[in-house]
Amino acid sequence: MSYQDQPQTKRASLLSWLDRRYPIVSTWNEHVGEYYAPKNFNFWYFFGSLALLVLVNQFITGIWLTMSYKPSAAEAFNSIEYIMRDVEWGWLIRYMHSTGASAFFIVIYLHMMRGLLYGSYKEPRELVWILGMFLFLVLMAEAFMGYLLPWGQMSYWGAQVIISLFGAIPVIGPDLALWVRGDFVISDATLNRFFALHVIALPLVLIILVFMHIVALHKVGSNNPDGVEIKKYKNEAGLPIDGIPFHPYYSVKDSFGAVFFMIPFALIVFYWPEGGGFFLEPPNFEPANPLKTPEHIAPVWYFTPYYAILRAVPDKFLGVVAMGAAIAVLFAMPWLDRCKVKSIRYRGTSFKLLLTMFVVSFVVLGYLGTQPATPELTKLAQIFTVLYFAFFLVLPFTSVHEQTKPVPERVH
Amino acid sequence: MSVTDKNTGVDLKRRKILTGATGVVGAAGATFLAVPFVSSWQPSEKAKAAGAPVDIDLQALQPGQMLTVSWRGKPVWVVRRTPEMLANLASLDGKLRDPASQESIQPGYCQNATRAVNPEYLVVVGICTHLGCAPLYRPAIGSPDVGADWQGGFFCPCHGSRFDLAGRVFQSVPAPTNLEIPPHRFINDHLVRIGEDPQQEGVA
Amino acid sequence: MKKIIWILSFSATLLAMPFTTQAAGGPGIELEPAHNNLRDADSLQRGAVLFSNYCMACHSAKYIRYNRIARDIGWSDEQVIQQMAYGLNKVVDEVQTRMLPGVAMDVLGTEPPDLSLMARLKGTDYIYTFLRAYHQDENGNWDNTVLKGTSMPNVLEGIQRHASAEDYAQAARDIANFLEYVGEPAKMDRMDLGWKVIAFLLVLLLLTYVLKKEYWRDIKH
Repeated sequence: MSYQDQPQTKRASLLSWLDRRYPIVSTWNEHVGEYYAPKNFNFWYFFGSLALLVLVNQFITGIWLTMSYKPSAAEAFNSIEYIMRDVEWGWLIRYMHSTGASAFFIVIYLHMMRGLLYGSYKEPRELVWILGMFLFLVLMAEAFMGYLLPWGQMSYWGAQVIISLFGAIPVIGPDLALWVRGDFVISDATLNRFFALHVIALPLVLIILVFMHIVALHKVGSNNPDGVEIKKYKNEAGLPIDGIPFHPYYSVKDSFGAVFFMIPFALIVFYWPEGGGFFLEPPNFEPANPLKTPEHIAPVWYFTPYYAILRAVPDKFLGVVAMGAAIAVLFAMPWLDRCKVKSIRYRGTSFKLLLTMFVVSFVVLGYLGTQPATPELTKLAQIFTVLYFAFFLVLPFTSVHEQTKPVPERVH
Repeated sequence: MSVTDKNTGVDLKRRKILTGATGVVGAAGATFLAVPFVSSWQPSEKAKAAGAPVDIDLQALQPGQMLTVSWRGKPVWVVRRTPEMLANLASLDGKLRDPASQESIQPGYCQNATRAVNPEYLVVVGICTHLGCAPLYRPAIGSPDVGADWQGGFFCPCHGSRFDLAGRVFQSVPAPTNLEIPPHRFINDHLVRIGEDPQQEGVA
Repeated sequence: MKKIIWILSFSATLLAMPFTTQAAGGPGIELEPAHNNLRDADSLQRGAVLFSNYCMACHSAKYIRYNRIARDIGWSDEQVIQQMAYGLNKVVDEVQTRMLPGVAMDVLGTEPPDLSLMARLKGTDYIYTFLRAYHQDENGNWDNTVLKGTSMPNVLEGIQRHASAEDYAQAARDIANFLEYVGEPAKMDRMDLGWKVIAFLLVLLLLTYVLKKEYWRDIKH
């Protein structure tokens, strides 16, 4: 043994000492070093790791914000300005958090789109999809509660409107809304409980769900743009021929993706933090005033498609039902889509048309949700609401008889 | 010379250099990113504003009296010492731990026999240098709760530390150093500003 | 490379989505652009003095301190107190109104809002237009076309009457400029820092790109 081998051996023996007591090596190998992912990921596959990156950003900046934020109706608004002005670098930490919130939804929506494009929800990945949908739900709750904390006019009235939705539920509705608020209006009590949920409870749930989402994914293996299973063809060593170890190949690729993502992120943080009034809404620069509603209330942009659906239905209770259904129906995707072919590359025209229609109606509804509800726009919202749901209603029938193209045996 | 793996034809040296370079630049970026998070723990502008200099009007303070003000959240005492009190100080030197204030905290301009800018006024932070209790002002000679040979000064009720009327600590008590003197300057004869050093010579 | 172009154009599309700032003036009100410049320290200093003389009798800017203003717009601590507070405040004080509590309710029937965030709430164009939108009817009653029935008097009337049109416009512009600064004192800092961060990220992007290419030589498609 040469002198130079010494440190290597020492490191190896420390590692084996640790590994006998805690499965470091095997965990690393199973999920990183020897996790075989298809070699043909395209850019759509960046959004999973980007979501994790944004989650970490939200955690760290969020923890730092709680160090100066005061969750009380009397002090919340002032403490945000205290962070923006008096705390050293407070403005940067807050803008990273507020921009991160919007970035989270951009990344998540694209991540979900990837799933729809390549059939990542299909057998055997139904649970990956469902866990992801739960993550999406919790993320929406997390964002909604976080939005109340600055205690501006938009925070206040946005929360007021959304909580009033609970009031639409027959029989228990009004009592439920009262219970959620802990007061007759949104108040100090509401702010306090939302703060607790936003900074402790929901982040914990998010971590657990992210963990389960990844464990489920690694159990069944990643899908890919061709939608073929790489586990079908293995070499003598029992490794998928078309798979490559996550590390180093996808760790270097995802590092590139992460830095690429950080550039527009930094551009927004430093030069466009209000995001044209969509990331930080102007009325939120005015402290909450329970006696005065802003002229025009719109939720933050990432909720507007569902908000448009809510307003499109001319009945309070049915509106709430429609909004809930718009999200709930996504859970059922693995069973609504009955086509055996996964990737859009080999699917029939009917699916391509339906998916396009769905995406267009989602984007249009998102736009309509930001606009005041004039009669013409409401009519438009109704049309696109119908188209939104049509996707899920028509798909089970067309997908059975779809004219698909031949799927290759192996990935390209 | 590049090192090439015989089996795969991979230039291992290039790979190593690139990995190292990316790692170093990435680590530098992470360090930059840590700066805002670390500095955000510094006293904020609000804390600095609250810790701004405090002006004390001494006109009502009678000889032998003490008044307390809060500066940066700490009690600051101003004692107007009588000529007898000042005369007594020198006689105590032999009983003190740090009579010349060589190991204690005070601005340079207060490292003198009376530990003061203006000997008549002692300005001192009212926190025991032992464990941070607030000592009591016992100006009278032979104060009953301190002892018959007491020449006047400060007595800490927590652990029995004693200080003379210049805030100097006695021997064989737990406090290690003299009471701290904050930076201060006299704006005029009756107005003292705590938290600011005297202006340079020539201004006055 | 084709992929990169694809990604770039995709991001560009995302950024170019029809994000428009909501008009703050309400329906039917044309706002004149303020054309103010945060980098113009003279304008900010003039704006600060105008703010003190014409606004602070009723309004506060309680989220900013005098010493911060001094540091950011090029005054000494002594100067800011002299220029904005007639020597009456400490430099660490927040910019409060000179109106005594309760007086506003009696005299104006409303509480004049704090102006710290007005530029972020309404925009500088709104402030600029609003300040210049006062007009008098035949009976001599004042009103404002931007905010009808406002309780705020035409504070710039003296300038409007006695100064040139340009000076009058400049006064409103300076106030709008100062209020934009007050709305977000760190704005210039973040703009100065931003391009450095992005330049650094571009270097790191290049490195990660080359590194990725190097490793991916192994993969045969």
